[in-house]
Amino acid sequence: MMLVGTGAALGACLRYLVTTLIKRHSHFNFPWATLLINLSGAFCLGFLTGSQMVNPFLGAGFMGGFTTFSTFNTEVFALGDGGLKTLAVLYLVISYLGGLALALAGLFLGKTC
Amino acid sequence: MKLTNLLSVAFFAFIGGNLRYLIGQALGLVGTLSVNLGGCFLLSFLTYYLFDRRHVPSWLTTGLGTGLIGAFTTFSTFSLELSKLLLAHAWGAASAYFLLSSVGGLTSVWLGYLLAQRLRGLNR
Repeated sequence: MMLVGTGAALGACLRYLVTTLIKRHSHFNFPWATLLINLSGAFCLGFLTGSQMVNPFLGAGFMGGFTTFSTFNTEVFALGDGGLKTLAVLYLVISYLGGLALALAGLFLGKTC
Repeated sequence: MKLTNLLSVAFFAFIGGNLRYLIGQALGLVGTLSVNLGGCFLLSFLTYYLFDRRHVPSWLTTGLGTGLIGAFTTFSTFSLELSKLLLAHAWGAASAYFLLSSVGGLTSVWLGYLLAQRLRGLNR
């Protein structure tokens, strides 16, 4: 419990910092921060699992707390609701396909290490 | 960026992460799905009902949205579980998991949005 909670707290803080920093420097109405976080998190969790280095602190804790499904979906909805339907679909497709491809790549890469 | 917000995120994420872990341990894949869909509904509801109000302090909105619900739901575990299903050639389960998560996620956000609109209408 302590390990998962501490990992999740650290992961979420990193997500908060990355999001705040990227939003400050981004001029486009696109959720780059969440995309970057979710794709890198999917790769890292795949790698940790493939290399059998995963544990409750790093996996369910840190990576689970770092990446987010709810913010991603709310952002897709907000883009569509704001009339940016093409961007919403693009964000959705890149997230799902990219997340899957990177998790698989991480798994394979982790197994070879 | 405020330190109070960061501490609030850490505090609430500790709770959100543990809740997800416990539900995931008990229910496995169905647990991740439930957590993700429930979190979508809650975040959408809070975003459209509470977060844009002036009198709500930012440490609370950041703590609940980014911390509690952000850490409660997970994209990395979802991607990994989907990968494992595909690698196991469990095509039916993989399709069902993907469709329920993707369509369900957006539907949950939409339902949270509708509930927020409805309640705001009543409060006017």
